[in-house]
Amino acid sequence: MSETETPRPADFDEYWDAVDEELARYPAAPTLERLALPSDEFSTVYALRLTSSGPYRIFGYLSVPPGDGPFPGLLAAPHYGSVNHLPHLDDRQRYVTLILMHRGQRLADQPFAATYPGLLTLGIDDPGTYIYRGIVADCLRGAEFLHSLPSVDPSRLAIHGDDLALITAARRPGLKFAAVQAAGLLFYRLMEARERSSDYPVEEINDYLRTAPERREAVARTLAYFDPVHHVPRITATTLFSVGSGGLGGSEWLRPLMGAFAAPVEQYALSQAGATDHDWLDAWMAQRLGSEPKPRLWEVADSTPAGS
Amino acid sequence: MTRKPADQFGTTTVRPPDFDAFWAAIMAEANAIQLNPTLEHVPTRSTAEVEVYDIGYDSLDGLRIAGWYCRPKDSYLPPPYPALLIVPGYISEPTLPKSWARMGYAALGVAPRGKLRSNRHYNPGYPGLLVNNIVDRHTYSYRGFYVDACRAVDFVMTRPEVDSTRIGVHGSSQGGALTIVTAALRRDVVTCGAAGAPYLCGFMDAASLTHSWPYQEINDYLRLYPERAAQVRETLNYFDGINFAPSITAPMMVYIGLNDDVCPPETGYAVYNAIAGPKELHAQPRSAHDAGRFWVMPKVEAFLAKHLRPARAASAVRPV
Repeated sequence: MSETETPRPADFDEYWDAVDEELARYPAAPTLERLALPSDEFSTVYALRLTSSGPYRIFGYLSVPPGDGPFPGLLAAPHYGSVNHLPHLDDRQRYVTLILMHRGQRLADQPFAATYPGLLTLGIDDPGTYIYRGIVADCLRGAEFLHSLPSVDPSRLAIHGDDLALITAARRPGLKFAAVQAAGLLFYRLMEARERSSDYPVEEINDYLRTAPERREAVARTLAYFDPVHHVPRITATTLFSVGSGGLGGSEWLRPLMGAFAAPVEQYALSQAGATDHDWLDAWMAQRLGSEPKPRLWEVADSTPAGS
Repeated sequence: MTRKPADQFGTTTVRPPDFDAFWAAIMAEANAIQLNPTLEHVPTRSTAEVEVYDIGYDSLDGLRIAGWYCRPKDSYLPPPYPALLIVPGYISEPTLPKSWARMGYAALGVAPRGKLRSNRHYNPGYPGLLVNNIVDRHTYSYRGFYVDACRAVDFVMTRPEVDSTRIGVHGSSQGGALTIVTAALRRDVVTCGAAGAPYLCGFMDAASLTHSWPYQEINDYLRLYPERAAQVRETLNYFDGINFAPSITAPMMVYIGLNDDVCPPETGYAVYNAIAGPKELHAQPRSAHDAGRFWVMPKVEAFLAKHLRPARAASAVRPV
């Protein structure tokens, strides 16, 4: 198999249909517990627990603004790491926000606790046992739950994150996401990316194949099911990509992915100045969800004494 | 929204009269504890250039602290090596500092208590760590957390391949705070430090300037328990990087984002101004908690290389 391309597995659709079928076998059985500490006049924050495939009990922080709603809904797909923060006040004021912890992350780490490094290669020899098969199911379950809430306007539902956001949006076109924001992809062309990077978590793949080079084909086969290039044609929402200045996050690297979309796709060229980038991305999302932007940049008062 | 220039902010942090005595007693207690260092080679993470070890050592309260120790292979670069302590952010897990080892450092990524692999007996979580026992300086979370970072310095000092006259510390956010605290509490051995977007500096000022996590934990806590505000402030004064900074003697580099909503630049200036030794500041307009990382990291690498003199120039081994 060439390492410069990610072929679409012949049974790609069957694989993901099976994930959906397994997830559908388990009711979500949601429970909500109000959290006194982060709840305030701007929102009520809940500890959410849901059953995902496995079955496995996952966790989320759900925040709901005061009032009758319905409000726009914003799902934050879990990033790679053990902790996801509570939703920021700026989002809690405007949206029903769900920040999800997938299986293995803190607050969803019983009975399985993910290790870092280690999660990216767990069960990777076989797509049927790969940990991300269940993690994607966790994200799908979270999206279904958020969409089902009476407090959420289903026509104003959005998701942001990495590959997990793209795959979730692609696997649930029926939720009619209004917008998708993506950055920091992990699974995109990962067998190629690993040859260009020694940074973790990509380096986890290098570590694994350095020890077991004979498994390269099996690893490539598994990762192909998760490469967003095979998922994004199903996305119906407008998608915005944050694009870096070059290398693995640059426009040239992302070109095949951009070309795979059927729905509109936009690019934002990161300035690398975090406040500038945050405010631009925040405004983009707010516009699509019919809300007000919440810029975090502030002006600095002129401290020059009068007459000087 | 308009704010005064960040460099004109006056901090409300106060240095308790017994600050030095408080920490001298803690460090004396820590120094009486055997380090009991262990190293376990991790062949699956090691490369042709770098050996990786899963390490551990004992710290305050009987806790075992974990870390990743990465050193150049003898065949790649012969010892001795300068040591570089890589201290973690608030929610991030310590990564394996292999890239620093390729530059010629014996690099240790430490996991203070509460981080994965060091949380078996102490696990306040996130949110949680910042306000855990915040009304009592004798049991506040960062009492042991700071000591865990300092004992990582002690760990590298036990390594025969390390040149103990060249020991640096580097991190951003909470790692920036730990850089400042470690450089102060281990000023006898720390050669230099590079602190990005320093957290845990001007706690109460920061909480008043932002609603972003993690300082928002303090706002939430005081909304629920307003009557504890004086106790909280009293405790935090003992753990404030601004109060550690005057003890630092090693050269320090501080870099901040002038629109950082997580660790407000006002507090970055406050801790920078309080550093007594040689220092340099890089303040990046329109940068947030990234603290201008995109532009400043080459300067960080150059600063550390100037003071620690690793065998390989950073630019020669930077990943493509």
